[in-house]
Amino acid sequence: MARMKFYCDAERCIECNGCVTACKNENEVPWGVNRRRVVTIKDGVPGERSLSVACMHCSDAPCAAVCPVDCFYTTDDGVVLHDKDICIGCGYCFYACPFGAPQFPADGAFATRGKMDKCTFCAGGPEADNSAEEFRKYGSNRLAEGKLPLCAEMCSTKALLAGDADVLSEIYRKRIVNRAGRVLQRGVPYQNATLRSPSGLKGKASSLE
Amino acid sequence: MIGDFIDGPLWYFSAAVFLLGVIWRLIAILRIGVTVDLSVARSSGAGGALRTLFSRSLPRRPVLTRGKLQFVAGYMFHLGLFALLFLAQPHVEFISRRITGFGWTTLPHWGFMLVSEAAFAGLLLLLLYRLMHPVTRLISRAGDYAASLLVFLVMLSGCLALARAYEPLRLLHLLLAELLLIYFPFSTLMHAFTFAVSRGYTGAGMARKGVNA
Amino acid sequence: MYRPVSRTASSLLLLLVVILAPVPGGGASANNREEGIQVPNPGTDLWREVRKRQQPPLAGVKPPLNGAPGVDLWMEIERSKLSPVGSTQVKSVDSGTLINPFGDEWRRFRMEWLVPYGGYAVAGMFLLVVLFYLIRGRVPIHAGPSDKRLPRYTVYERMIHWFIAAIFLFLALTGLTMLLGRSLLIPLIGAEAFSLLASASKEGHNLFGPLFLLALALIFFRFVRRNIYQRGDLTWLLRGGGLIGSRHVPSNFFNMGEKSMFWMLVLVGGVTAVSGVILVFPVLGQGREIMALSHVAHAITALTMILVIIGHIYIGSVGMEGAIEGMTTGYCDLNWAREHHDWWAERCENNGEVITVEEAFEAEGFTPGAPKHHRPAGETAE
Repeated sequence: MARMKFYCDAERCIECNGCVTACKNENEVPWGVNRRRVVTIKDGVPGERSLSVACMHCSDAPCAAVCPVDCFYTTDDGVVLHDKDICIGCGYCFYACPFGAPQFPADGAFATRGKMDKCTFCAGGPEADNSAEEFRKYGSNRLAEGKLPLCAEMCSTKALLAGDADVLSEIYRKRIVNRAGRVLQRGVPYQNATLRSPSGLKGKASSLE
Repeated sequence: MIGDFIDGPLWYFSAAVFLLGVIWRLIAILRIGVTVDLSVARSSGAGGALRTLFSRSLPRRPVLTRGKLQFVAGYMFHLGLFALLFLAQPHVEFISRRITGFGWTTLPHWGFMLVSEAAFAGLLLLLLYRLMHPVTRLISRAGDYAASLLVFLVMLSGCLALARAYEPLRLLHLLLAELLLIYFPFSTLMHAFTFAVSRGYTGAGMARKGVNA
Repeated sequence: MYRPVSRTASSLLLLLVVILAPVPGGGASANNREEGIQVPNPGTDLWREVRKRQQPPLAGVKPPLNGAPGVDLWMEIERSKLSPVGSTQVKSVDSGTLINPFGDEWRRFRMEWLVPYGGYAVAGMFLLVVLFYLIRGRVPIHAGPSDKRLPRYTVYERMIHWFIAAIFLFLALTGLTMLLGRSLLIPLIGAEAFSLLASASKEGHNLFGPLFLLALALIFFRFVRRNIYQRGDLTWLLRGGGLIGSRHVPSNFFNMGEKSMFWMLVLVGGVTAVSGVILVFPVLGQGREIMALSHVAHAITALTMILVIIGHIYIGSVGMEGAIEGMTTGYCDLNWAREHHDWWAERCENNGEVITVEEAFEAEGFTPGAPKHHRPAGETAE
């Protein structure tokens, strides 16, 4: 089976937050919850890079390991999902997750932590595919319709990729080889290579394909 | 099945028992009447009744020095319970949906936390005082313990159901609350209403005698 | 932040870079291009990549100059791990932090250390208590129960004791449910039922938690004076509280063990309560590291308390004859006091505080703990 992954290309992300908006709209996530966020490193100084982060659907997911009620499961596609009927909103997954993916709506009488909400890779939850119940709890199930997550589909620069890990690897490998080749030619470490070859589109990943 | 029963018929039954029982008890008390006082009244009884209704809520110094904790715990519990009952968001929702058709401002998160802590601490301390103090233990009957325990169980089940995501927990809370409603008119819990009658009676009698009580 | 640079200056800079660029790389770059560039396998998880980076680098191996750009970026993020390094439009706690490696350490603590060893420790303590009872048996009042009583705890003291006891038991049970339920209860009752139980436990634990702080404060102010260590406590400790040797070790109102338990409860319990408050209000803006650290402190201190309290409950109830009466009726047997708290008993006797069991009964009303034959005739339990 496929192993679904996200990949965000920091060289391409232009911090447009299109993925964030697409996700919020597609999944109608609760107020105060952002399943995806764009983080900018070195904002405004040389070497600025942006990355779009959400649940990375880890193969060995820390959230699933620490969950006291065992509400996580991994689908055949390698997507890490959780059952909101089981989740008690303890927040342990949030402590364990390296990416800060789990989010908690201000819910319940205490208005502190409701049931956890996170990126589902647009794959819904344990309910029947594309049922109203599933949409209410987890948002859209695009994977069941044969579509990829909307955030990646909407990405204007194709920085955010979603899909089978092998396919993503291949795309990213091509980009890397291409870029590193260009940089090596001039002998500049890639991190410092802020100046691009002046020859138009030549040497960019898109020119190879 | 049992859930529908608790949520439907039993709720209406218990509400009816509570309402009719309280009215019946109050009418019964009022029908006892007051013995005719032939002496000339020194002042109106109504003013005294009204004053005593509130003044008896304030502890008197000698009483206060004898047992501060009961007063503190008593206030914590009663005020906390009152705030929980009428200002907690789920309760207001319930009342609005089932009874009144309108809701009102609810407690914020921190306020809810504060009053529920106060109510729990107060009730536990009062219950323990009842058990530990020789006098209260002697005058306590099974009904007193039943009332305290029932109120505690209602509060505890409510606290356990705070996630508001599990139907069985909500039904447990509702069931216990219904049992409390049914038990209410026939127990010392009636003091929630009768305190006004007794204070008013005392205050009026004292005022007629010209005593500022 | 940026000074506008004139067009000429930037052109000059550009020229400079273009001229100097080929110098450091030299001829090597041409060869590298042919051999293929070191590209990490992008299929691996980013997280796994970061974890690999956490291991110390091999001595003498320099990171490649033209290292994989993606990994370099993650390395940089990882190096500045304990502070939010990025900025983001999403405004919430820690949302600027791209990666939080501490989460994995916390996971290892909880899954590999806390859950198994915590579970074994609690079970082991139960076993130990049972074993101790089987070997040692109930500690009797050697002189036998007397018909004299000493007032030991006032109403208020007993109230706050049972107050904190009730809260502690509730918190311990709900806490252990959440800690060990996944391993012990889910196989028995299934995930759905356990989810309900765990949710109830969590909400109850959260609500009763702050009460423990209040109860602890009440206990502290009431009992602190009697719990100050004094001469003779060291002897008690050295002789294991009477476990070593056959004779009882003299002690005051509280013996060395009880004093130590008091201070353990105050200090360790204080940490538990404060860390619990940090955990119970996730809306105060504390980050994940603080929460995870609070959880570590909370778990370790709470487990310590549970272990000690199991021993306390044992010795206070079935483990020793005459021990529980002081906390239920407020009066203890004179012979028990002489055998276990002789300095205090002596002082009480000198002050003339000894009363008969009938007097104790009268002062206290019905005493559930009093032996039946001491009850005056004509009185019944009701």
